[in-house]
Amino acid sequence: MAVMTERSADRAWTVFGEDTLPRLFRHVVRERGRRVAMREKELGVWRAVSWSQYGERAKHVGLGLLALGLRPRDVVSIIADNCPEWLYTDLGTMSVGGVTNGIYTTDAARQVEYIVNDSGTRFFFAANEEQLDKILEVRARCAELVRIIVYDMEGLHAFRDEQVMPFDALLELGARYGTEHPGAFEDMVEIARPDDLAILVYTSGTTGPPKGAMLSHRNILFQIDYADYITAVHEGDQQLSFLPLCHIAERTFTVFSPLRTGATVNFAESIDTVPENIREVAPALFFAVPRIWEKFYSGVALRMRDATRVGRLAYHWAISVGARVAERRIAGRRPGLGLRMLFRVADFLVLDNVKRSMGLHRARGAATGAAPIAPELIKWYMALGIDMREVYGQTENCGLATAMPADRIKLGTVGVARPDTEVRISPRGEILLKGPHVFLGYYKNLQKTAETVVDGWLHTGDVGVMDDEGFVRITDRMKDIIITAGGKNVTPSEIENQLKFSPYIADAVVIGDQRRFLSCLVMIDHETVAQFAQERNVPFTNFASLCRAREIQELIGGEIEHVNRRLARVETIKKFRLIEQILTAEDEELTPTMKLKRALVNAKYKDVIDAMYTEA
Amino acid sequence: MADPLLAVANLETYYGPIMAIRGVSFGVPERSVVAILGANGAGKSTILKTVSGVMDPQKGTVTFAGREIQGMDPDKVTRLGISHVPEGREVFPFLSVRDNLLMGAFTRRDAGGVAEDLELVYSYFPILGSRAEQRAGSLSGGEQQMLAISRALMARPRMMLLDEPSLGLSPRLVKEIFAIIVRINRERGVTVLLVEQNAHMALHVADYGYVLEVGRIVMEDTCARLLEKEDIKEFYLGMKETSVRGTRRWKRKKTWR
Repeated sequence: MAVMTERSADRAWTVFGEDTLPRLFRHVVRERGRRVAMREKELGVWRAVSWSQYGERAKHVGLGLLALGLRPRDVVSIIADNCPEWLYTDLGTMSVGGVTNGIYTTDAARQVEYIVNDSGTRFFFAANEEQLDKILEVRARCAELVRIIVYDMEGLHAFRDEQVMPFDALLELGARYGTEHPGAFEDMVEIARPDDLAILVYTSGTTGPPKGAMLSHRNILFQIDYADYITAVHEGDQQLSFLPLCHIAERTFTVFSPLRTGATVNFAESIDTVPENIREVAPALFFAVPRIWEKFYSGVALRMRDATRVGRLAYHWAISVGARVAERRIAGRRPGLGLRMLFRVADFLVLDNVKRSMGLHRARGAATGAAPIAPELIKWYMALGIDMREVYGQTENCGLATAMPADRIKLGTVGVARPDTEVRISPRGEILLKGPHVFLGYYKNLQKTAETVVDGWLHTGDVGVMDDEGFVRITDRMKDIIITAGGKNVTPSEIENQLKFSPYIADAVVIGDQRRFLSCLVMIDHETVAQFAQERNVPFTNFASLCRAREIQELIGGEIEHVNRRLARVETIKKFRLIEQILTAEDEELTPTMKLKRALVNAKYKDVIDAMYTEA
Repeated sequence: MADPLLAVANLETYYGPIMAIRGVSFGVPERSVVAILGANGAGKSTILKTVSGVMDPQKGTVTFAGREIQGMDPDKVTRLGISHVPEGREVFPFLSVRDNLLMGAFTRRDAGGVAEDLELVYSYFPILGSRAEQRAGSLSGGEQQMLAISRALMARPRMMLLDEPSLGLSPRLVKEIFAIIVRINRERGVTVLLVEQNAHMALHVADYGYVLEVGRIVMEDTCARLLEKEDIKEFYLGMKETSVRGTRRWKRKKTWR
């Protein structure tokens, strides 16, 4: 499957003939002018920002930073939820030779301190009062920090501090600096070279402190050159931005790809309003992590349980028609005319309504990635008529490494290597990647870089297999593989994905390394389990009492048993416990994308886990 | 623990199409004071109204002294020993204070006992004694609250449901009224279920507390422990750790633990 050559790794990747992000950005701003680049909801009304406004504001950010003394390669950190200002800052900074770095808004002050110091951040953009407080708390220990800029000054008008300035003031400063120094901005746009560092992305490391992955202009341009690899994207297509921009997948989807595609980015108001915002925007393209896809599915599954008998029958009939179409497609065959007609009826009567209820009725393309997903779930979306594709990649290769091709679908795999790249499986079973997307290394960490990239091959840390057609199946993270006391190798994430397919299980961690048998900790889906309890008259008060209810223990036990039946005997889950606390993204047990962190969960719930193995 | 005097399980109550109580379960042990805290519209009053029979639940059970009472008429519930002191007092404005109190005893046939209890409530609230012949409508808000509690007491209840007794009262009056509530509980053995926005007062008076948010219980514990919880401190007691800037406008996310 190694079709790539050395040449493509070194080739200058260009989009519209431009080879760095600042040049590309300048190019598309001129080209697209007053057409809509993004929308943000203000006081309940969606307000549009044109490409010229986008360009103008980014330029003023860049000039403002120059006026404040930004030097090439200076790091600018942003801690904010997705908003237009984030994008102005991102491209404005890069346009004057700076390097941007996103910080998760859920990070606590001490994590902010670590990243600011590790990256040597000189300019810090904070969303609002809440985020500002984090940096103020630790700034005494941040030697490199020059200025703090705040997007939203609400509640801060009386606050005076010489290191802190409002975003609007920065824009004004930039505009003034621009008139005083004509040509300054244009000169800076030209300085970046394709192999220069463009952005830093701190990986949310499940072990050890986070590391700053360095991505170059070439890495990014190579990825956006294939922005419509999954599905054709047209200018003006709507997409919704709500996953953290600090994550390379969302960053590419929201900031970089639209430079190529011209799609319109709509910002969700907040994470709580995402379901409504999707329905309002009805995106043509939708990228989400499995957790979101699982939630949509649970929502529909629950609504169906409450539906009338006729409604339920209609749904089951329609979804079975859809499933047959999906199965044909998976088998690589075109469904017969009769089945196609039947599907149109099912879609018209039922499936379209289901898609509408999720806001996905206009979705031409849907992608899932950043975490493993149950193949059954993809099949369900395919049955609805949504062209859902699994993609695989990581920060260190700037996002996409493999994707499910349109013409050949193998569920349970993450598809084939994207064009102009190579995938190989090492003798130890590790997945290796090579291509123009392989990153520059970890910031100021030569040792880790040397361990990760060997002879141009990126070592992903994922274990997998590749079949004769080049389809890659990921079995697990290398370090997550469990070896039981009996010496059996077990890949926990496969079992966990099966468990997560249950609408009642939000996440699970399988345990059993060096143990006699497998067990797991389960995080229940609060909403669906509470509804289950209420329907069955199971009394409960708070979350812990819900978890402790006998009927809920039996419910989850039943779901686990259901998965067990499909597993080999050594792989069955013998015992389980529920996590009796509602976890939020602020909790250290969860990644910002709401995945349970295996190592932390193992350490934090050690007593609970040990109890499962000591009791008779 | 023995069966609680009042046990509510999986209660769902609607206002038309709006689900006000979305599956609530809790218990009130005999002779205890239990508080339900929650913001406006959380569904606190609806719970009391459902217990006292003013509203019928769509689902769930209310068990009082071993007997299911959900959906029962309010007068029957009163006869079983539950007195409801509604929010906003709702005294009869054109009746005298004394007649208001006697209305509270409408279920009783023992004239001697009623007279005794009349003296008792006058001893709790002397001001009512001195205003016995005045029209209730002419009383101040605090006095009307005293009257409403006293009227409920006249039924010799085993249990009292108190809906926001502190509403619209001065801090001093609130203290006074809560002191009497505690006395009624301790001296008369009346079980109290209290609904309050004044979390500070409620948590210091009650033994056990539940926190209700949009129709669901999110937290329960002894009041002593609730007082120590970060979420209770910030969202119900208005205490904030100050930030580096000295002030802070933004709110933490609630985690309920």
